Amino acid sequence: MDGFWIVLTGFLVASSTGMLGNLLLLRKMSMMGDALSHAVLPGIVIAYLISGSRASFPLLIGAIIMGLLTTFLIHFFSNKGKIQGDAAMGTVFTFLFAIGIILVTKYAGQADIDADCVLHGELAFVPLQQTSYFGITAPDAVWTLLLLFTFIQLVFWIGYKGWLLTSFNSEFAASIGIKTAIWHYSLMAATSVATVVSFESVGAILVIAFLVVPAATAYLITKDLKRMVVVIIIQGFLNSFGGYMLSNILNASISGSMAVISFVGFAIVFLVTKKEG
Amino acid sequence: MDLLLKYITLEDPNVRFVVVAIVLLGAVSGMVGSFNFLRKKTLVGETVAHSMLPGVLIAFLLSGVKSPIIMILGAALSGWMSIWLVDYITQKSKIKGDSALAIVLSSFFGLGIVLLTMIQSRFSGNQSGLDHYIFGNAAAMTPEDSTTFAVVCLVVFVLVMSSYLSIKATIFNSDYAQSIGISRKKIDILISILTILTISVGIKAVGIVMMSALLIIPPTAARFWTDRLVPMLIISGCFGALGGWLGSFISYYETNMPTGPLTIVCVSIIAFVSMMFAPKKGIVYQRWNKLLLRRRINEENLLKAAVQNEVRGKGKLFDRAQINTRQYFEQKLWNRTINRLKNKGFVYKVHTGYTLSMAGRNYGADIDRRHKIWEVYLQRRMQMSVHLVHDEAETMEHFLTPEIEEEILGELGLCSRFNPLLEIHEIIPDPDIA
Repeated sequence: MDGFWIVLTGFLVASSTGMLGNLLLLRKMSMMGDALSHAVLPGIVIAYLISGSRASFPLLIGAIIMGLLTTFLIHFFSNKGKIQGDAAMGTVFTFLFAIGIILVTKYAGQADIDADCVLHGELAFVPLQQTSYFGITAPDAVWTLLLLFTFIQLVFWIGYKGWLLTSFNSEFAASIGIKTAIWHYSLMAATSVATVVSFESVGAILVIAFLVVPAATAYLITKDLKRMVVVIIIQGFLNSFGGYMLSNILNASISGSMAVISFVGFAIVFLVTKKEG
Repeated sequence: MDLLLKYITLEDPNVRFVVVAIVLLGAVSGMVGSFNFLRKKTLVGETVAHSMLPGVLIAFLLSGVKSPIIMILGAALSGWMSIWLVDYITQKSKIKGDSALAIVLSSFFGLGIVLLTMIQSRFSGNQSGLDHYIFGNAAAMTPEDSTTFAVVCLVVFVLVMSSYLSIKATIFNSDYAQSIGISRKKIDILISILTILTISVGIKAVGIVMMSALLIIPPTAARFWTDRLVPMLIISGCFGALGGWLGSFISYYETNMPTGPLTIVCVSIIAFVSMMFAPKKGIVYQRWNKLLLRRRINEENLLKAAVQNEVRGKGKLFDRAQINTRQYFEQKLWNRTINRLKNKGFVYKVHTGYTLSMAGRNYGADIDRRHKIWEVYLQRRMQMSVHLVHDEAETMEHFLTPEIEEEILGELGLCSRFNPLLEIHEIIPDPDIA
C-alpha cells in the first residue's frame, strides 16, 4: 500500500507541475522553475519561524509571496536596471536562496528545520501521516496534492486560451488588448504554488525535473498543446512508477530515481526523433 | 574592533586559509563569470555546478577515498559532460537552450541524489562530508585547499591572458573573429574549461548554488560600471573578492553564519548598489537625466509658445491662459517652469503677466525655427503629408543641435538665415489660419 501512495504522489506532482512546465517551455522560461524553487526558501523559513509550525498553509502563503516577489524582482532588474534576462534571474534567485540558507543555519537550533529537508523532501515519508476524509484514508500529502491537481487543472483550462495566445505571440496578444503582464504573473503564481506544494512532499529537485523534462519530451513528440498535456500525464505515471521501482532496486532516494527515469524517457524520445546533421 | 583588526591582519591561522581561499575564489569566478555573462550564457554555471554532484560521488565510489584532486577530476568530468549534453540537445532537437539547461541540471542532480543516498545507505562513517558538495562548508577549508585555489587562480589568469584577443573578438563579434581565422569552437571550449575549473574547485567551499551565484552576480554588478572588457574583468574580479572578504568576515564575527551564502548576500548588495547608483547606467542617474530632459522640454515649449504669442501680435505680455491656447500647462507645472525660466533670466515678471527677455526670445525663436525646419524636411525629403509633420516636429525640435540644423538646411538648399516664420506659410498652412 505504501508503494501505491508513493507512486500516486509522484504521479500527482508530475501531472500538476508538468502542465505548467508546458507553458514555461513554450515561453522559453524553463529555468524559471529552477529559480522559483530556490527563491521560495526564505519565504518558507520566515513563514515557519512566524507560525512556529510545519503546517502547510502558512508555508504555502510564505512561498507564494516569495514567488511573486521573485518574479517582480526579476522583472524590475531586467526592465528598470536593464540587466539581460538570464543574469537578472540568476542574481535574484541565488540572492534569495542565500538569504534562505542563512536563515536556516541561524535558526536551526530553535526550529526543527534544515536545508536538507526543505530541498530534498523525502517521498518515503509520505505514507506515514494519514488522515481520513469522506471515509477514505489517505496520506496528507495525497490530499494536498489532489487539491493542487484540481486547482492546476482548473487554472490551466480556464486560462488555456489566454496563455496559449500570450505564449505564442505576445506582441499580437498585447496589440489586441490582452494584458500580457497579468497572464505572466498568474502563471508565475501558479508555478510558485505548484512548486511549493509539491516540494514539501517530493523535494525541490524532483519538482524541477517534473516541471521541465516531461514537457520537453512531449514537445519532441507533438506540437499540439492538448496532446502535449496527454503525453505529460502518461509520462507522469510511467516516471513515477519506474522511479519507485528503481529506488527499490538501488535502495536510493525515490525523488532522485524518478528524476533519473524522467531523463531516461526523454533520452529515448530524443534519440528516436533526433535531427540528423 | 579588536576582532576586526585580528581579522584584517589574518592573525588567526584558522581564519587565514578560509579568507584567502574565499577571496581568491571570488576573484576567479568574477573574471570567469564575465565571459559567460557577455556571451549571454549566464545560467550555464548553474547547470554545470549542479551536474558536478554525480561526478564527485562516482569519483568517491571508484576511488574509495575523499582525495580533493580525484573529486575535482570527477566533478570536472561530469561538468564537461553536462555542457556537451546541453549543446547536443539544442543542436539535434527543437528544444531551446534554457530548457536544455534545465533538463540536464535536474537529471544530473537527480542522479547525484540517487548516488548520494545509495552511498549513505551502504557506507557508514567515512562518507560524511560528501554533502558539503551541495551546501558547501568554507569552515572546513584546509591549507591545501587555499593552495589549490591559488593554483587555479593562476591557471585561469594565464589562460585568459594567453588568448585574450581571440576571446575578446569571439565574444563581441564572432563572425568577424571567424573570418580572421579564430576558431569559435576553440574559444567556446576554452571558456567552458575556465568555467568548469572554477566551479569544480569552488563547490566544496561554498556549495552548488552559491558557486553559480558567484559566477553570475559580480559580472552583473560590474556591467553597470563599464562598457569595456578589461575593466569589466578587473571590476568583476574585485567585486567577487570583496564579497568573499566581507562574507567571511561576517561569518567570522557572528556565530552560526555560513560563509558561502553571506558572500553571496554581500555581492548581491554590491550589485544592487551598482544598479541604483552607478554613474551613467544606474537607475538614479537615469531617472535624474530623464527629469532634466523633461524639465528642459517644458521650458522650451513655454518659450516657444511665448514667442509665437508675440509673433501673432498678441502683445509682449503673456500669462498662463494665453500660453494655454497653444501649449497646455497645468497650474503646478506652469509655476515650476516659469520660476525656473525666471531664475535663468529668460522671462521677467511684469505686473500680472510675464515678458520675454532678449535671451528668452532668441531661445524660443530657435526652437520654433527648428520645429519648422524639421517640418519642411519631413515634407520635402520624407514625402510625409502635411497633417503628419507637426506632431513629429513637436518632439524633434528639442533634439536638433545647431550642427544638424546646419546640415538639414544645406541638404534642403536653403540659406542658413532661412527664416521659416516668413516663408513657412507657403509650404504649410498654419493651423491657426487653416
